[in-house]
Amino acid sequence: MPSHGDLDRQIAHLMECKPLAEAEVKTLCDQARAILVEEWNVQPVKCPVTVCGDIHGQFYDLIELFRIGGNAPDTNYLFMGDYVDRGYYSVETVTLLVALKVRYRDRITILRGNHESRQITQVYGFYDECLRKYGNANVWKYFTDLFDYLPLTALIESQIFCLHGGLSPSLDTLDNIRALDRIQEVPHEGPMCDLLWSDPDDRCGWGISPRGAGYTFGQDIATQFNHTNGLTLISRAHQLVMEGYNWCQEKNVVTVFSAPNYCYRCGNMAAILEIGENMDQNFLQFDPAPRQIEPDTTRKTPDYFL
Amino acid sequence: MRPSNKSPATNPPGPPCNQHRPIPHEHSSKIKVEAFHLHRHFYRNMEPQSEHDHSPNPKTPESPTTNTCCAKCGCPTNLAPPPAAATSYSEISPPPTYRPIRSPAINLPPNNHSQAIILAPVPQSQKIPTISPPFHFQIPSKRIQSPNDIRHFIDSDSGKNFLGFVVALSESIRGHKISDAFLQSHTVNTILSIIADLIQWVDEIPPTQQSARYGNVAYRTWHSRLVDNSESLMLRFLPNELHSATIEIVPYFTDSFGNSSRIDYGTGHETNFAAWLYCLARMGVIKEGDYQAVVARVFVKYLELMRKLQLVYCLEPAGSHGVWGLDDYHFLPFIFGSSQLIDHKYMKPKSIHNQDILDNFSNEYMYLSCIAFVKKVKKGLFAEHSPLLDDISGVPNWNKVNSGLLKMYKAEVLEKVPIMQHFLFGWLIKWYGVFFSFVNDLLFHMI
Repeated sequence: MPSHGDLDRQIAHLMECKPLAEAEVKTLCDQARAILVEEWNVQPVKCPVTVCGDIHGQFYDLIELFRIGGNAPDTNYLFMGDYVDRGYYSVETVTLLVALKVRYRDRITILRGNHESRQITQVYGFYDECLRKYGNANVWKYFTDLFDYLPLTALIESQIFCLHGGLSPSLDTLDNIRALDRIQEVPHEGPMCDLLWSDPDDRCGWGISPRGAGYTFGQDIATQFNHTNGLTLISRAHQLVMEGYNWCQEKNVVTVFSAPNYCYRCGNMAAILEIGENMDQNFLQFDPAPRQIEPDTTRKTPDYFL
Repeated sequence: MRPSNKSPATNPPGPPCNQHRPIPHEHSSKIKVEAFHLHRHFYRNMEPQSEHDHSPNPKTPESPTTNTCCAKCGCPTNLAPPPAAATSYSEISPPPTYRPIRSPAINLPPNNHSQAIILAPVPQSQKIPTISPPFHFQIPSKRIQSPNDIRHFIDSDSGKNFLGFVVALSESIRGHKISDAFLQSHTVNTILSIIADLIQWVDEIPPTQQSARYGNVAYRTWHSRLVDNSESLMLRFLPNELHSATIEIVPYFTDSFGNSSRIDYGTGHETNFAAWLYCLARMGVIKEGDYQAVVARVFVKYLELMRKLQLVYCLEPAGSHGVWGLDDYHFLPFIFGSSQLIDHKYMKPKSIHNQDILDNFSNEYMYLSCIAFVKKVKKGLFAEHSPLLDDISGVPNWNKVNSGLLKMYKAEVLEKVPIMQHFLFGWLIKWYGVFFSFVNDLLFHMI
């Protein structure tokens, strides 16, 4: 049994919102890859477990989430993707979640969101943040290479299907999902892309997504999917909802969003979904974390202005 | 600690040992995926977005169906019948087959990224060539799908001239306050009255009481009124001989104020507004002498409208870079605003940290009004929620800020596929086919 001393020290360090050294991130990502490669496209998860939505680098709100939901590993967690981009602390956030995964692999499940991708992170901030915090793109490369291994979906007790985005017209069954070759960059289209990009819609049937990727799916589609696969619920994230969670499609689908006051301005609550030992469901809502420490915000002239 | 969560959470039933892992049917699953792609193309082309669709799952049209009703509208739907018994799948199918990560990673940014940015030339202003008859106005369409397409656009006359137009607008307002007297043509006044009407509609269409999503659905009512009236709004200022241009310029106009199905707004929509103004310049409806008024009157009025829409209907920031972008919604007012402040006697880039200056001069300088607005709507430390604006406040002078923002606009807006995939091309902003540019290159080298 290898000692967890190093890892425990790193986790304690990360909990204070301090990033790890570049070499430590590399080792951590190597360890995480070895764990994630063994996980399934539809990763089975047991209850009790607490299901969480988008975090987007809002580190202090993630700490608040742990305060509200219980610390890992006392509480089991299932995160449905979008750890990075937009927030100020994507590096610290994703490093902490990956470190927890490595330390407590059976206690925490981390799925892939549409932002866990090379292309998206180059546009929406994670790449810039890595450059700023490490002076080079190595850490960005370690993480985005690791993201290819993240499972796409999870299944709680064969009943609650969890994923970041939504359904795909080319995937009728969970077995269809299990057959996907997931270890790759998120493609521009196709079933794997849809799982990470689709949204539920008020209209029936499949619709073209205004996002330019994935589809919209109606209640008829979700009902059929749940029926076909013996599911009671599709739990997903991917959309900002003001209460932190939102039932739709006659309770066939629930959206969970865990980044409060998204982008410092939206005024939304965050929520997490506790699935109890008897599969009972309980939502916990929370507001932005009170400020803990002043960030290190040294000014640096961006290249465009040199 | 939560007692209810104490039981162990090992993950059944796997991961299974490699020896007993069933062999995946890789071949058949690949065929399935390819078939889907064909189907997807069919659907993309055949299915209008607004259609209320009750078609069965597209992949299994031949499967036996039962007739049921759509819960939303009561129309019949065709659902495949459920399987005889709900199965627990967890042990049936294998984990995926793995293939090694491509090395080096695809889309890896070039190593010399930083150097390339520093050495990139500052975009220069260009004269806008005006059209002459015969006119070939057409419904514009999307063309950009890949980084190659972006390159193609940026290197084309269309791309260079559009960016040159933005630079020309920026230069026109250099050193001017908003309240300075500018030549204000009849066209400019008409456009101002149009935007004033759009503002008026916001008051007439109050937000609905709702809590589910951020964006307010009343925005869709506002937007559909915009779409319904767009053509007549254009005809208020278009001369008779250019009435046929509405088919081409209306789509730019209606895309300038956000997306009605997503209820969001971002720099792509703002770019559409600039493209609409560019189309007017191409038609000679806006002349070079109008540029100052276009920035200080039209664009300022547009900004007033956009802020009202953002606040009243809670438009989501479309494709926001979050704290790592310049702003959740806008880019151009920072360019125009920094140009206004070039060579200002005492206001420096660092003056944005002076609340007195923001309070007293936001009505005269767009850059300051943008900063004041950000501070108003965002909670938390400025350096944390807006690190880029904070960084820029350390740049020594406004000239450097302005040229940097122009370089940044080109790289971060006009060269980004997620934004420009929605950009429209027609007769006024031409998409030069690959063949055309090949011939063009050939001719150039022959000369």
